[in-house]
Amino acid sequence: MANLYVTAVPPVDLNKNTEWFMYPGVWTTYILILFFSWLLVLSIFGCSPGMGWTIVNLAHFCVTYQFFHWKKGTPFAEDQGIYNGLTWWEQVDNGKQLTRNRKFLTVVPVVLYLIASHTTDYQHPMLFFNTLAVIVLVIAKFPNMHKVRIFGINADT
Amino acid sequence: MIAIPYLAALTTYFSYGLLFAFGQIRDFFRKILDWSGSNNLQGYAPICVAHEDFYVRRLYLRIQDCFGRPITSAPDAWFDVVERYSNDNNKTLKRTTNISRCLNLGSYNYLGFAAADEYCTPRVIESLRKYSPSTCSSRVDAGTTALHNELEKCVADFVGKPAAIVFGMGYVTNSAILPVLIGKGGLIISDSLNHNSIVNGARGSGATIRVFQHNTPSHLEEVLREQLAEGQPRTHRPWKKIMVIVEGIYSMEGDLCKLPEIIAICKKYKAYIYLDEAHSIGAVGKTGKGVCELLGVDTADVDIMMGTFTKSFGSCGGYIAGSKELIQYLKYTCPAHLYATSISPPAAEQIKSSIKVILGEDGSNRGPQKLAQIRENSNFFRSELQKMGFEVIGDDDSPVVPIMLYNPAKIPAFSRECLKQNVAVVMVAFPATPLLLARVRVCISASHTKEDLVKALKVFDQVGDLVGIKYFPAEPDKEQEEDKIVKLD
Repeated sequence: MANLYVTAVPPVDLNKNTEWFMYPGVWTTYILILFFSWLLVLSIFGCSPGMGWTIVNLAHFCVTYQFFHWKKGTPFAEDQGIYNGLTWWEQVDNGKQLTRNRKFLTVVPVVLYLIASHTTDYQHPMLFFNTLAVIVLVIAKFPNMHKVRIFGINADT
Repeated sequence: MIAIPYLAALTTYFSYGLLFAFGQIRDFFRKILDWSGSNNLQGYAPICVAHEDFYVRRLYLRIQDCFGRPITSAPDAWFDVVERYSNDNNKTLKRTTNISRCLNLGSYNYLGFAAADEYCTPRVIESLRKYSPSTCSSRVDAGTTALHNELEKCVADFVGKPAAIVFGMGYVTNSAILPVLIGKGGLIISDSLNHNSIVNGARGSGATIRVFQHNTPSHLEEVLREQLAEGQPRTHRPWKKIMVIVEGIYSMEGDLCKLPEIIAICKKYKAYIYLDEAHSIGAVGKTGKGVCELLGVDTADVDIMMGTFTKSFGSCGGYIAGSKELIQYLKYTCPAHLYATSISPPAAEQIKSSIKVILGEDGSNRGPQKLAQIRENSNFFRSELQKMGFEVIGDDDSPVVPIMLYNPAKIPAFSRECLKQNVAVVMVAFPATPLLLARVRVCISASHTKEDLVKALKVFDQVGDLVGIKYFPAEPDKEQEEDKIVKLD
């Protein structure tokens, strides 16, 4: 396993905040983090697998909404604030829509939703929260929502 | 093209995720704890947006002791590093009066001119007495001495161009020249790994910027064709000027530019080419004249050649070399020439003397010796490291030797362990390099002796085993193989 090498071609992206997403291994790491967090939740709370997936789904919703669609700008000052009005989702791939990365990131919440609702046997109240999470996340990732601020929430001052 | 072990890539992403998560949690609690305290802003806006300095506060400050170490001697092959300690987990560092003598593997001292030199230093002191440390004026007012004119002629002859203009600072050379050369309606196509000074100059110029994949002439051609066909944004008029910017040796990768192919493409599509030889002038090529000499490119084919004197000449400042008309135009328009203080006379004398030494005009053959020494040193060091199993990137003959680390925790580990054994190295991490690709950047100098390099290799071997960065299989020792053969008999 240690001898498996991947070649990394430096991508043509000047934005250091999103450039790391174009290297090999990101998708696998994302999926592995979700899987291991499910195991962690099961060990800590000792709940049923379905409840575990629901907790993972809702935590995933909070974390990805905060960092992909709420936080704007970059965590360093070298780019002199040219991305200060854009969320991470709007910065990825230089604003180009419907790239492979964006399609993958849109599919992950849907797959999580399917797993969570299946393992909880579609019971309420888990189903309600799971559905809410997936609807918000998928709509936030639509190409038509690029730079849209509903009711001026999170707009620049 | 860097080959990353897959497991290293996964663990690196996970480590950065963990560091990021911890930073966010600490920020969250800090915000709650500071909620009750009064803010003494008095109606002013805060200096930086809340999370703009997140990287500096939560990631960089943790390993702050590996960067910015103060030194108290000239940056020769061995130098004195001031020891520092911290009482609050690296948030603030305090200097002590202890110094440790360390092997210098970080300074851009390619030809060994960084410390006192038997030919250059007496002349520099003489010019210090004659001209004093500063001209106290810009070039156009009263800051042009005979020294400055001689220096410009000397540099133009050395580089192989009709004329040259010299500035007091290397970074400023790029960031003040590019806005003058190209403006709105022009197109700048720059390599994706170009230095920050070029990026800043390009952004300041107002031209449209496109980036092509690092050192890939085929992608450059693709981008050029696409942009030529599309024309200026929105109006689709033809571009006023197209400039392709590349570097001779890339300082973080140590690889040489594919200059002949790129020049062929630029000629085909009639684009100007701007070559930044900051790290390659004086360090590569048979007589030290840079990548053009090394790769057999005629200097008349490169429209604008830029370089700095900080690396191989042991001085400070930068130059632009080009045709007489270009330099004349720059002297009328460039703000760094019109308003900035001219280059300090002793620094100019250092450059002139070191160029004379390199060309052998001082009467000895120290220049060719130094050039041969640095080539030998770099090739020896690189091949030994590769034999030990390290992942070393960069081309042969390049004095910049980066060793890949990847995981963020290995950055301070390698740095601190090496410092304990009196070897000082420079670590490069995000955001100077891509997130995944943190590395140790070793700069080989002509003043490193074979013993110095062997000591460095021993230390790297030990520390590399401790930190776990030998990602490639090591080549077995020849002696062990011979033993095995004997035993079978």
